[in-house]
Amino acid sequence: MRDTKGTLIYILKRLLLMIFTIIVIFIICFMLVRLLPDSDNPGPGKDPTTFYRIQVAIGRYYEVSPGQYEQLPLLTQLWNFIKNLFVPSTYMNSSGQLVEVSRWGYSWEIDYLQSPIDILFSRMTPTVLINIYSMFLSIPIGLLIGIYMALKKNKWQDHTLSIIVMLFISVPSFVYAFLIQYFLGYQWGWFSPTMADSSMYGWFSGTMINSMVLPVLAMSFGSIAGFARYTRAELTEVLTSDFMLLARTKGLTRAQATVRHAFRNSLVPIFPMILGQIISVLSGSIVIENIFVVNGIGGLFLDSINKRDYDVFQFVAMFYILIGLVGGLVVDISYGLVDPRIRMGGGKGQ
Amino acid sequence: MSELENKVVSTNEQTDLFDFANKDKSIHDTKFETKPISYLQDCLRRFVKNKASVAAFFIILLIALFAIFEPIFDSKYQNNTVLQYNYFDRALPKLSIFEGTGFWDGTKKEGIGENEYNLNRFTDSNYDKYVRLESVEEVRTGFTTQMTYNVVIDTYAVGTRLIQISESEYNALVEYDKNQPEDHKIIKPQVDYNSYLNQYRQQLLDNGASSQVATQIYNNMLQTYSTNAQYYFALECNQRSDGSYIDTSFSPIYTEYDADKVGIDVQDIYLRDESGNLVYYTVSNGRYNVRVDYHDYFTYYYGYEPVFAFGTNQFGQDICLRMALGCRFSLLLGIGITVINFLIGLVWGAISGYYGGTLDLVLERITDIISGIPTIIIMTICNIQFNNNIELNNAVGPMGVIVLAILVAFVYNGWVGTAATTRMQFYRFKGQEYVLASRTLGARDGRLIFKHILPNAAGTLVTSSVLMVPSVIFSESSLSYLGIIDFTSSSIVSLGAMVSEGQQANIAFYPHVILFPAIVISLLMISFNLFGNGLRDAFNTTLRGSEE
Repeated sequence: MRDTKGTLIYILKRLLLMIFTIIVIFIICFMLVRLLPDSDNPGPGKDPTTFYRIQVAIGRYYEVSPGQYEQLPLLTQLWNFIKNLFVPSTYMNSSGQLVEVSRWGYSWEIDYLQSPIDILFSRMTPTVLINIYSMFLSIPIGLLIGIYMALKKNKWQDHTLSIIVMLFISVPSFVYAFLIQYFLGYQWGWFSPTMADSSMYGWFSGTMINSMVLPVLAMSFGSIAGFARYTRAELTEVLTSDFMLLARTKGLTRAQATVRHAFRNSLVPIFPMILGQIISVLSGSIVIENIFVVNGIGGLFLDSINKRDYDVFQFVAMFYILIGLVGGLVVDISYGLVDPRIRMGGGKGQ
Repeated sequence: MSELENKVVSTNEQTDLFDFANKDKSIHDTKFETKPISYLQDCLRRFVKNKASVAAFFIILLIALFAIFEPIFDSKYQNNTVLQYNYFDRALPKLSIFEGTGFWDGTKKEGIGENEYNLNRFTDSNYDKYVRLESVEEVRTGFTTQMTYNVVIDTYAVGTRLIQISESEYNALVEYDKNQPEDHKIIKPQVDYNSYLNQYRQQLLDNGASSQVATQIYNNMLQTYSTNAQYYFALECNQRSDGSYIDTSFSPIYTEYDADKVGIDVQDIYLRDESGNLVYYTVSNGRYNVRVDYHDYFTYYYGYEPVFAFGTNQFGQDICLRMALGCRFSLLLGIGITVINFLIGLVWGAISGYYGGTLDLVLERITDIISGIPTIIIMTICNIQFNNNIELNNAVGPMGVIVLAILVAFVYNGWVGTAATTRMQFYRFKGQEYVLASRTLGARDGRLIFKHILPNAAGTLVTSSVLMVPSVIFSESSLSYLGIIDFTSSSIVSLGAMVSEGQQANIAFYPHVILFPAIVISLLMISFNLFGNGLRDAFNTTLRGSEE
């Protein structure tokens, strides 16, 4: 029987630990980002009065004398930031209205005076779509290749596939993404080499889907190889265990035994991997988005670095960190939930 | 019956019928016929059996040798910088032995328009731009028909160029040129396009063109002549079918046609002195303006022929040399950072694993936090922070700043993996009886850690750290590919930056700029992974007989 109470306590403990970790990481990131050299003026074409009003309202600057602004000490900035998260202060905008300040700061370069949350959500669709397509492609194909390799273990099919899988795991994604782009995109012209503009076409229009094929392929190859290798390793281990012999002895055919007993058991460590993949759908790959000019979250992150848009940078970085930590947590917990033999929160000796 | 009798006899008179074997000899343990092998020898034997790993090892060795020796013997590498050659940008890969085969000889096939073809067809340089005309196609677009000439272009035929040199340099060049064979003369006659243009403008006006049109054509043609030193012949302006001029499109004036009415000769407009001799130089501000065949001038100037085995990038830099430098940097960085991370991880993991308890819990939390912040974020912050620090810039220079930023970003959480492995190993070994025995004899913690536990874990740890090298190379190249590590201000060459450079060079037309660095980086990654896996399997006795 499963120890429900113990499991719940374990999950709760892990959650609290994660929240603690996130808070500490956030404080470190906040400090590091605020320590970066920042120019005092908002740049050409932007209203300095609004800039300083906002900076005072979000607690970064204070007014020394009318028109003279200086940065607050770092810890005060942090305190003001946390205060703003719960009770946003107000500032007077250019048309003279009192407006609530954005909780997560403002973008100054990428999308003037937009909140980083809005920018992030507006960029999320392409990333998520590409990741979901690639997930639907890579999970079944990866599992199937892995099963095939395990069944043909040490035969030529297995060796050939092993080499291919090893190649895709070792070769950096930007290399094979470039190969895909060059051959399928430019040389043979089957698909659009870069992603189409989403504002001109619908997300599910032919042009859009055609232009998304290459990034999806490039994303999939790595994870197909990963899934295949993992499945093969797990399945070969299960196929040689004693209960498989028992299953055959009691009269099951090889196919029946493989599907009903071996595959199900080998899924135990693979399932958490799939869960991890599902969660990382939100973050995507910076490199592949860069190659295929996908206007997604990875692109936003690079933009924020190149344009020195620190509030956006901080927000996207925290988003990535959050996804990473939640992914790790879910994978860890699911191990215990899927396989009752793994004792949740067991001591070091277990 | 006789058998039975024999048996009876034998049981009764045992002592007489049986002899003790080796009765007179004293029996000792015989020496082993096989040689004893040590743990390392056993590992080596198992490693050698894995052919792929051995091959990978030799590939790494080859790349390392290439990285060490190529820049030493390459004259294109001077004062720690890669020379940039004007006019030889994006030259295709060329090996001298493949000259004229069409494969790896710096030529490419391309379809070009009629006008461009005619303009570059005639040259007084020593090398023809168009090696061969493959075919001519008619392409219909709407109502107009355009001719497409499919030609094989020699990317090394850069034509003639104008250079400015001092008097002594000019004299040396003339001296050198005297011994050159006729078809490799460097100095070409000056082109007198100014007087030709004046004459041509007058001709246009005479033909009824308005002065505005004539001036426009004059200016455009002047622009063409002054930027293209290879046009030594008279040009005329192309006309539309209605007789109006296309003021940006020119073609040569032919003096001779063959049977198919294709122009085969042009009228030169060389500068001549009063007696009609060709003029080879003009002097302005004490400098000699000379028109040279740039390919042969290159050979004269640098002392070697312009042949680039892997081509050049868009800045005219040799890709082969840059690749060697990139491998050098990658290998140094990979190994250096691995060693640092390994040492930090070892100490951290040892403390965490050996002492356990609360200390372990605290250390684990710290590792959690550290590994929660991705390298890419630390790299960005370090980059901006260090680059803006003027004192630091003055102290270590722009190159030092980048290396420092990379070091900080990669060391900051790179050791977490080693620490985790070490911690596991310590948990495994610290409860063993021999440790207990040593402790009972009064051994201190330091002795237990370094003398008893660590040596047992060493094999696993060292081999697992080999796999850290490719991961460092991978992250570095990814980050420099994305431009997060920016090498433009330093002379460091990184493979990742080369790949991104190749993407900017327009991969549709110049795939070689990206192809070769991509191949090398893939080779490095594959071989390090294979080698590391082979090493791990060889050192791990429990994995004997299984391949995973």
